[in-house]
Amino acid sequence: MIDPTPAAAPNSSGPAIEGIDLVKAFGGVVALGGASFSAYPGEVHALVGENGAGKSTLIKLLGGRLRPDSGVVKYYGQPVQLHSPQDTRRLGAATVFQELTQFPGMTIAENLLIGREPRGALGLIDRRRMTAEAAAILAGMGLHDIDPGELVEDVSLAQRQIVEIVRAVLAEPKILFLDEPTSSLVEREVEWLFGMVRKLRAEGTSVIFTSHRWREVISIADRITVFRNAREVGTFTTISEDDAVSLMAGRKVSAIYPTLPPKPAGDAALAVEGLSGNGLTDISLTLGKGEILGVGGLAGHGHRELFFTLFGALKPSAGRILVSGKPVRLRSPRDAIHAGPGIALVPEDRKTEGLLLPMSVKINLTLSVLRRISWLGLIRGRDEQARTRAMAESLDVRPPDPGRIVGTLSGGNQQKVLIGRWLLAESGILLFYDVTRGVDVATKHEIYALINRLANEGRSILLYSSDAEELAHLAHRVLVLREGRIAAELHPPMTSEAIVSSAVRDADAA
Amino acid sequence: MPPSAPAPTNPALAGIAPTDRHLLRALAQNFGLVLSWAVLVLAILIYCAIYYGQLGTLPGNFEITSTVNNTMPLVLSGLGQTIVILTRGLDLSVGGIIDLTNALAALYLGDTLQSAILGSIAILGVGALLGFVNGALVAFGRLQPIVVTIATLSIYQGLAIMILPQPGGTIPPEFSALLVNSGAPWALLYCVAFGLLWMMLRRSRLGVSIYAVGNDPAAATANGISLIRTRLAAYVLSGVASAGAGLFLAASSTAGDATTGNGYTLTSIVAVVLGGVSLFGGRGSGIGAIAGALLTTMIVNILFFAQIDPLYQSFYEGLFLVLAVVLTMAVGRLVKRRRR
Amino acid sequence: MTDPIPVVPPAAPAAPPPPRPFLGLDAERRHILYAVLGAILVFAVGAAVRPGFASPASISAVLLVASFVGLVAAGQTFVILIGGIDLSIPSVLNAAAILLVTSTLGDDSRAVYGITLTLAMGAGLGLLNGVGIAILGVPAVIMTLAMNGIVEGLMLGLSGGLTCQACASYAPPVVQAAVHGSLLGVPLAIYIWVGIIVIVSIVLSFTTFGRRTYAIGNNAVASHLAGINVPLTTILLYALSGLFAALAGILLVGFGGQASLEMGTPYLFESIAAAVVGGVSILGGRGHYLGAAAGAVSLVALATVLQTMNMPEYGRDILYGVVVIALLLAYGREQEGA
Repeated sequence: MIDPTPAAAPNSSGPAIEGIDLVKAFGGVVALGGASFSAYPGEVHALVGENGAGKSTLIKLLGGRLRPDSGVVKYYGQPVQLHSPQDTRRLGAATVFQELTQFPGMTIAENLLIGREPRGALGLIDRRRMTAEAAAILAGMGLHDIDPGELVEDVSLAQRQIVEIVRAVLAEPKILFLDEPTSSLVEREVEWLFGMVRKLRAEGTSVIFTSHRWREVISIADRITVFRNAREVGTFTTISEDDAVSLMAGRKVSAIYPTLPPKPAGDAALAVEGLSGNGLTDISLTLGKGEILGVGGLAGHGHRELFFTLFGALKPSAGRILVSGKPVRLRSPRDAIHAGPGIALVPEDRKTEGLLLPMSVKINLTLSVLRRISWLGLIRGRDEQARTRAMAESLDVRPPDPGRIVGTLSGGNQQKVLIGRWLLAESGILLFYDVTRGVDVATKHEIYALINRLANEGRSILLYSSDAEELAHLAHRVLVLREGRIAAELHPPMTSEAIVSSAVRDADAA
Repeated sequence: MPPSAPAPTNPALAGIAPTDRHLLRALAQNFGLVLSWAVLVLAILIYCAIYYGQLGTLPGNFEITSTVNNTMPLVLSGLGQTIVILTRGLDLSVGGIIDLTNALAALYLGDTLQSAILGSIAILGVGALLGFVNGALVAFGRLQPIVVTIATLSIYQGLAIMILPQPGGTIPPEFSALLVNSGAPWALLYCVAFGLLWMMLRRSRLGVSIYAVGNDPAAATANGISLIRTRLAAYVLSGVASAGAGLFLAASSTAGDATTGNGYTLTSIVAVVLGGVSLFGGRGSGIGAIAGALLTTMIVNILFFAQIDPLYQSFYEGLFLVLAVVLTMAVGRLVKRRRR
Repeated sequence: MTDPIPVVPPAAPAAPPPPRPFLGLDAERRHILYAVLGAILVFAVGAAVRPGFASPASISAVLLVASFVGLVAAGQTFVILIGGIDLSIPSVLNAAAILLVTSTLGDDSRAVYGITLTLAMGAGLGLLNGVGIAILGVPAVIMTLAMNGIVEGLMLGLSGGLTCQACASYAPPVVQAAVHGSLLGVPLAIYIWVGIIVIVSIVLSFTTFGRRTYAIGNNAVASHLAGINVPLTTILLYALSGLFAALAGILLVGFGGQASLEMGTPYLFESIAAAVVGGVSILGGRGHYLGAAAGAVSLVALATVLQTMNMPEYGRDILYGVVVIALLLAYGREQEGA
């Protein structure tokens, strides 16, 4: 049973930031249904919850990235309307969200000091001094291996994330919002960030952050607020992980995730030998029929490249890929789609890489099977309509109208349409990349059930998730990638803790 | 602990001294600019070689002067086009602005140097206004640059013919001598001056905004940069630059002509691309555009002195353009890969 | 603060009501409607200003000229739909006209040969454009601009500036008849154009090729990751653009009898303007040829009205630009800008 220590207000002056009865819905799906929150100066406050529970939405509402449908946001007791990033800044707040606000073709120094570049003669920017100043700033924060003269597009994702954090801290904010700040950082870098956060706390700044990683949360947070079903369900100063997970889920863990089907012994549907290139080194794996193989690790460590290479969208420099035992050369996604039982990819960003947002559900669903619904190039309209309606209904897309514009659907329904495309194509090997990201909780559970059903039918699934908890419970086994190599292979019983620690261990610390 | 230079992660760079490494990196980060000047130097050498082969001497004062003078309008319109392209835009009305300002110059520069200078300033103002119309439609109207400027091209061309239906008017000779002195390539000084102006722009807040908007408009907004003001300024500057080009064109001939600028629309884009500026926005330098403009003229000179049939001229120009772009992109990919 | 832990998962969220349609038409169809209404409006205004402007003979003359613009606009529409542009059509059109007369020498028996050769040339040049853009990665503006220069240079050079002996030949009489002849009082060229409109519209709306075109124009990355052959479709679209430019050149030289220089120059901006006025988004992915065709008619009708009002050419240019901008601003409220 939960034995929480509910939190009383940490100090006597009012909260630095408050959200009261905030409501936000997207396409009919309620992302936040009347949540309230407060954080005080000099407090580090963590928001935890499953994907889709509302924590990211809340932090974006408080930080001015989104506007609430109803409810009030208060800074230092005053209600505010945040219309632009300027407003947030003027109130002394800074934000670090997943979408980085950097300029790829400009140097780190230019990005750090934009708007406050050092001026020289004639009031013109002194570029040499700017680079030196940037170097001094980075060194002053203990970051010695980030070179301010490098272009942002030439450095790693982790370095870019650190630069984004540095930029926010430079503004000397009194309130700092961090949304999953450690998603691509290794242990040493996480330590650096927490050192920064502790310093800010000592100076009276409120730090509000979201995270999936329990160990990090309890090591740094003064208070923890748990989210479930688009509402906050409790704020605690201490809570055990088990209690927190139960609270996040609203039921026992065993009831969230479907029982894993037994892995059928048999031929490998997909085998990879010594795959290298594009940041990957010597990746070998086998994926059996009816198996769900999880791939875990920090963002930016090669998962995207692995998935794209297996789908024929990237060319490897070495290695072999075998589909149903036969070696194949995948020169394009078309080759992958037609290789053996067919490989399918549900990519990371459904809006920019997967769906045609201004077009209908029907068009999006049949994009990969045009030949099957046409005759001599002419599309068979009634056939298309019937097939797509059937697919939309079987996946419970709401509304199941093939003529509906995909851009008007909620994130979860959009994801279903994308998965539906590959079900129509009857692909046997499914590569799911973070398929529950930005999806509401109800749809997420439907997707879990779907993945299970697909595996039961004999399809093979390679599953990447940024949520290690999901991987631990959904997959038959998990490979952890670190810096483009397989760092570990985990077998059941698996914990998210094990996945995370294999991922964050520094390269030097064996 | 004092900050130390970071250790190079690329093994290919190990063993190279830090200052050399910085130079290599500067080259890699600006390869478009470097390549354009390198090709320009190469073209000059080829030109000299062909000239010598034909006439037994190296090009003299007359050739250099006329080459530079003829390139000035392209230098200016290229600079203006660069600014707009950097913001992910395009200005197809360049030709129309040059037509119109050229016509105004022929009619209103007067007889004396003073009147000409005053008139010139007014004409630059007209260019700013014409650019402002473009910028307003793009920034406030949120219309696509390519279609807006096609429409304004038509309008400005029409206005030009309206005020100067036939070539005519007068340009005071002192004005011509000031801008495109035929005695010596003094116009190179103007090139240097424009180059300096560019570098000043690059190091100003507007310059940073221009690059930011071209790199990532969403990030620019998040950093407090006004997309509207930046885009507006870009088109105004392009208008001023094109007006300047119109003035130089007027100075190069004894009369004005309301159709003389039409070719510059597309040629200014060529100069920009030859200068290593990316058509996708956010990358490139006006200094490169200056090289691109000179290179464009060099190509014509080379074709002339190599006694290529002038009817085939556009064939070679088109071929060169494609090869130059393909080469630049290939070099760019190589550079990126080696630095990984 | 502990609430009872429910055992049952929450109900899935209800679907929001569908968006209100306007006149029962989506945005794309609305733009086509506006373009058609615009054309009718221009004729109405013209008839008011100059009685007799809306007479069948007059309309027919406008449609004839519009058909030339419309043909070029067909090719331009195809490439604009994938976010590209074809700046090479002036010289491809011109070269086609010259090639037709010099290969047929005004002889009907060589007409089939000449037409086939010319169309193949147009498609071939377009194919080269497509290869440069899709495979070499050259931006469309540059590739087609360079191609324009290349073709112009070859055309001028090989024909000696159009002074070669064969260059003064006439187009074969059958081609001239195809343009000037009429059926039921309507010039044959218009029938040809209507046929093209039907074919192109069917291709865009009902074929897999059209579907792929719209997909690529909307999101080339997503299309690629869905298994669509983006390079091949791109190459084919540019080949089509070249083909249509060549076809327009053939009909134009049939109309005029002989080839001349600068035949194609006005058609570049006209074809782009017709497409844009017809609701084709310059960013790609949206619009239809029906709109571009209506746009071509509107613009040609407008130019003709102004001409009959004895407005000098520069006035037409100015008004042209103003009208295009006004229309863009009217559409603009529905199109996003970044």
